[in-house]
This record gives sequence, C-alpha cells and structure tokens, in this order.
Amino acid sequence: MARKQECIAMLLAGGQGSRLGILTKNIAKPAVPYGGKYRIIDFPLSNCVNSGIYTVGVLTQYQPLALNDYIGNGQPWDLDRADGGVHILSPYQQIKGTEWYKGTANSIYQNIKFIERYDPEYVLILSGDHIYKMDYSKMLDYHKENNADCTIAMIEVPWEEASRFGLMLVNDDGSIAEFEEKPKNPRSNKASMGIYIFNWKKLRSYLIEDEANENSGNDFGHDVIPAMHAAGERMFAYQFDGYWKDVGTIDSLWDSNLDLLNPKVDLDLDDDSWKIYSRSPVAPPHYVGANAVIENSMITEGCEIDGSVDFSVLFANVKVEKGANVKYSIVMPGTVIKSGASVQYSIVAENTVIEEGATVGKSPEEMKNIEDWGVAVVGSGVTIGKNAEVAPKSMIDTDIGGEN
Amino acid sequence: MAAKNVLGIIFSNAYDEVIPEITAFRTMGSVPFASRYRLIDFQLSYMVNAGIPRVGILTNSNYRSLMDHIGNGKAWDLARKREGLTILPPFNHPDTGVFKGKLDALYGSIGYISDSGKDYVLVTDCNIVSDIDYDSLMNYHLETKAEITLAYSEGLATGIKNGMEYELSDDGRITAMKYIDSCSDNMKTSLKTMVINRTLLERLLHEANSKRITDFETLFADNTSNLRIYGYRHDGYVKIIENIKTYYEANLDLLNPEVRNALFTPEKPIYTKTSDKVPAKYGIAAKAVNSLIADGCKVYGEVENCILFRGVTVSKGAKIKNSIIMQDTFIGENAAVEYVITDKDVNIGAGKKLCGAENYPIYIGKGINI
Repeated sequence: MARKQECIAMLLAGGQGSRLGILTKNIAKPAVPYGGKYRIIDFPLSNCVNSGIYTVGVLTQYQPLALNDYIGNGQPWDLDRADGGVHILSPYQQIKGTEWYKGTANSIYQNIKFIERYDPEYVLILSGDHIYKMDYSKMLDYHKENNADCTIAMIEVPWEEASRFGLMLVNDDGSIAEFEEKPKNPRSNKASMGIYIFNWKKLRSYLIEDEANENSGNDFGHDVIPAMHAAGERMFAYQFDGYWKDVGTIDSLWDSNLDLLNPKVDLDLDDDSWKIYSRSPVAPPHYVGANAVIENSMITEGCEIDGSVDFSVLFANVKVEKGANVKYSIVMPGTVIKSGASVQYSIVAENTVIEEGATVGKSPEEMKNIEDWGVAVVGSGVTIGKNAEVAPKSMIDTDIGGEN
Repeated sequence: MAAKNVLGIIFSNAYDEVIPEITAFRTMGSVPFASRYRLIDFQLSYMVNAGIPRVGILTNSNYRSLMDHIGNGKAWDLARKREGLTILPPFNHPDTGVFKGKLDALYGSIGYISDSGKDYVLVTDCNIVSDIDYDSLMNYHLETKAEITLAYSEGLATGIKNGMEYELSDDGRITAMKYIDSCSDNMKTSLKTMVINRTLLERLLHEANSKRITDFETLFADNTSNLRIYGYRHDGYVKIIENIKTYYEANLDLLNPEVRNALFTPEKPIYTKTSDKVPAKYGIAAKAVNSLIADGCKVYGEVENCILFRGVTVSKGAKIKNSIIMQDTFIGENAAVEYVITDKDVNIGAGKKLCGAENYPIYIGKGINI
C-alpha cells in the first residue's frame, strides 16, 4: 500500500492531436516539441511539481513510444520518487477482455485501482494540450474553501473566439450555473481550460455510474460533468489569469512558439521560482559563426548557426549553414538547413534536411492570393532536395527530390 | 571492454595554485569551462564513455562547489547501486596528516582502492582538456604488459611549465624522465594521466608512505629500470591549463571548429549537470559572431569571439569581444569589454569600459560590481 496522498494528478496524454497533421504522425500530441527545448507535456508536469503534487499518472494510448521514452522514470521533473512519482498508465488486458480508453472519463475509470492505492481526497485531471504556468495548489485551496465537489479552471477568452470553447455561465459566488458546449451564439466568454479538481469519492461513484450507462460517450466534458451538474453537486469555476494556449493546430503551435519572442506576452520561462523542466539533450553550447546574423530568436544547445535567423525558435542541434535564411519559423531538433536555403513562415520537424537553395514557405506579402497563404510544415526525417520548393500551407511528409 | 576492470581516480584539487584567482573558491575540477561545463565533466565523461564503471574523486579543499555540481553522479550515469561514483574527502590519516602530494592523498584512500576489486587504476588530473581515449589507453597497457602506463604527447603541450619529459626506448618503454621548465616542440611530455596495476599501486603507496615520498614523479624517476613503465602517445588535441592565460586560450580554442569537433562528438558526449535554463534569447539589433553561447543567455548587444556561460545578459549597445563571461554575469548598456574573464555573478555597469590584453586577460572576481 502506498502512502496516502491528499491530491494526485491524472494527466490525459492519450490524444492523437489529429489537427497537427504530420507532426503527430508518429508521436502523441503531448510529446510535440515546443519552445526550443521543451515538449508540451513539460508544462503540466512542471506545474505539478511546482505546485507540490508529486504523484502523477500519465494516461497514454496513441503512439506512446516517444512519450514513454521521454518521461522515462520522471527524473528531469523530480518525479523519480520512492513515494508516488510519475506512472505511465496504458490500456491493459483484463479477464473480460482488452479495452482501449474509450473516452477521457473511461481512461480514469480503468485506472480506479491506481488512484485507490494513494487513497486521495482529491484528484486533479489535466490534459497534455496546453502551454501555461499555473499553481494548482491555489486552485485546490479554492476548491476546499468552497467545499466543492468539482472545480473547473476557467479563463476569459475574447468574445469573438468564445464559440470554439466549452463555456460556463458563472454565478457571483463562483458556482457554475450552466454549461454551453461550443455554442453558435455564446452567452459567456468564460471558457473551461480542461483542468478539473474532483473530490475523489464523488468522482469515483460518477465514473462507475457513467460506465454503466451504455449511451454515454465516457467523456468528462460531455458526460460526467453535465451529470454531476444535473444532480446538483457543488460545482465551481476557478478563474485563471495568465498565458494559456491550446497548441492543437499548426497555426496555434506556430503562434505560441513565436509568442516566446514577444516581450509583451505574459509567459516567462526564465523564472527561477517556476521553472519548466525538461529532459535536456546532451549537447555542447551553441556556436554562432563568423557569418551569423541572429535577431529576435531563441537558440539552444547543440546548434551551429552561420546563416541568418530572424524571429525564429530553433531546437537542439539545428544547423543553419552560411547563406541560409530562417525567418518566422520553428525548427525542431537535429534539422540541417543548408547553404542558400530559405525557410520562412514554417514549422520544420525533427531531423529533416533542407538542401542547398531549397525554399520552404513564403511570407504573406509574397502571395498573389492571401487565401493560399499559411504556415508550411515539413515532417520529421524528410529531405527537401536541392532548389526544391515547399509551398506555403502545405504539409510534406515524404522526401522531395531536387536538382542534382 | 578492458575498462570494466578499471577504477578511475580523479584529482580535483591538483594544480589549484596555477589559476589561484579562479580556484580561490573552488577546486580545479569545478572551474567553469566552455560555456556550460566544469573541468571535471571532461575527465568524468571520458571515463564513462570508455566504460569505466567506478570513479573516485579525490578532494583536498574547497570542495563544496564540486559536491554541488557532482551530486550523486546522476548526470554521468554514475548514480548506481553497484559501483558508480564516490567523492573522497581528505582523510586525515594518523601517519600523514592533511596530504601534501598525490601519493599521500591516495594513501589516505587506500582502503577504497583495495575494496574496488579492480585490477587497474586510472589516475588523472582535471586541468587537462583533450580528446584522449581511455579505452585505447587501457588496451595499450594490456598489450605491452606494462605495470604502469603514462600518457604523453609530443610537441602538443608546448610552453607548459613544471612538466615531465620522458625518454622512450623503441618499444615504448620509458627509460628516463626528468623535470623541465618549459616544453618545446619535439619533447615527449607528461599528460599527468596514468594507468597502474592496482596491487602495484598499493605496494608503492605503502612504500612511499614509509619513505615520506609524496609525489609519483620522484618515485617513478628513480625506478624506471625496476618497473615496467610504458609511454602511451596521444596525438589528438591537448591543452594543459596551468595559468590564467592557458585557461583563456583553452576556452577560446573552442571557437575553432576542429577543436570543437574533436572534443564534442555525438558518440562521446560530454555530460554535465543540467540547469533547466531557457534557450538563449537574441533581441532585435543583437549581433553575435564567432562565439559559444549557453542556454539562459540574453543577447541584446554585440558579441564577438566570446565564451558566454549560462544566464549571461549582454544589454543593448554593449560590446564584448575576446572575453570569457561566466554564469549570470550582467553587462550593462553600452559597456565595452575586451580581453576580460569575469567570474560568476559579476555586474558591469552601464557605459563601463574594461580592456585587458591578449596575453594578459583581466580577471574579475566572483560577484564583483563595477
């Protein structure tokens, strides 16, 4: 029997993130690289340890290899612990047969035994989809103060975007009056962040009930939370102010990376009191060559830059040769951009080669028809041949031959 | 695989006195080097990369920063149940007192050496940066059936003081050795790295203790005919740090791609403690060329031919050139810095100008505010 924990976290990391296209062909969304040296999952994991939560179950299902490998024993996040720590929870075989995680609620249902080992009072449910720094312990305090059964983290979004979110109508005392799931005409701009704290005993009984209901989709947002609300449980919204971004689409991933270069954006990763931990590659410091021109960019260990880099985020071990040009782009680990190549308004995935003179992406100003413009994406391991072109908005996951 | 049977011993304090400024608060092993490392990272990584499973680090004084850095050895994969890393603090032996030389230092840890159960002991210093391969050094030791193998280079470590010159017979055996004041091009000089059979080492340590001999050099020089001492020639990159000038040169050598490629190969990475700093950030109008820059730096000014450690800020309009700027140093707006070595946490105020010379870089001590 493990020692009792007041609160444990369950991190839903099984999603494919299909809107990221070829970037999640071989890896789950939480394993997608972000911000030069991180992966998306570093944010909820670091938030957990910074909030004093040291028991985290990570639920994986889709392409778990890279993610499992990355999390390992949890050491980079101080989660390699004798008591608690990080645990990868994959679907498993049972007497009655093997079952995939059918939905977010079902994935927790299938791991009731894991949670019970710690006999927690509260369970924090997180997703591996967002970039944000948040103190979950404050949310837990709020949950306790309100004597709530369920607390949902909420953020005010711009009204024009509100219809993309699950929204809440909130009473003056912070309790939730009504839910609206992606309505056409929103009556609120208070969006759910997909972060929940439940009283475990309550949640447990609702999960069992939900599992017994054949019509249920076994999803927190669609099934369990509405059921709790309908039954009159005490549900509260916890307001979060700060940077929070879903990086579930190519555009939002691109934007969110470039946000790091914008001093006006409220996301400081250089904050010693709230560090974001990651599994760092073993690489020497980065080298800037005699011909390098680097402005307004982030560059990390193992990079060798002898070309021009502007408004870009470069991950570990990226090489930009003399005469190459990188602008408004995200370049993931191990990629080589050869002499004379141009990469603009693009996301280039891991270990790709952009050969001499190749062009990837274009600036919006160069477009005849702005409708055709978008961020170009080159998938991992792809080679873009000499002088070849990758059009804006396209996604390339096979080699493109070039001139010899 | 010979390395499996080797105990590695690293002297973290040896030659502290050659760069007294930088080692005032730390051991030679914890001297910051190459933007994100400490000197000891190189020796530890060479040993780990060769497959040596057990390493002892001998300390003498000021070793808190070293312990801080090494921790339990996790970063080098040496935090193990079986074998792994041990820090060997000074052992005040009734016979010896606090140690003076390497022999009595090792004598203080003779129990650790015997208990290792290894047949061979590799003994090294921290003030050597090279691309030496300990696996091939070991193989050479076995092939020649030597009792002791001393690594040397020919003409590479020129200009060093207080070196040892070796004379070798045609089959590689060292026939004579002598102290030299400086090393010239065709000399075969010591790299302060040796492999010795463990039982012999134990015997020599007892012997030296009774005769009050404290350094290996004296002991070996007198015994070249009795002991099978061989020389292992290293031909790659070597830099021995023996004063502030060579420390400066060893750092700036890394701006040369050949040196970088020799020291940092993907197959034999240099491990170090991670700091979880954000990637380096370059601002608008930043200008950085020919420099090594670590994570956590913020570059808004001009940087040329520099080694920047973690967390350095170069403010707008500041110009730094030919300098080594250690961790968390802040260079204020429009400051100009050339041929300077700043230790950790230095603050150079806005508009201040500091200039050393190529053969005599200025050193600014830890935490100094200018």
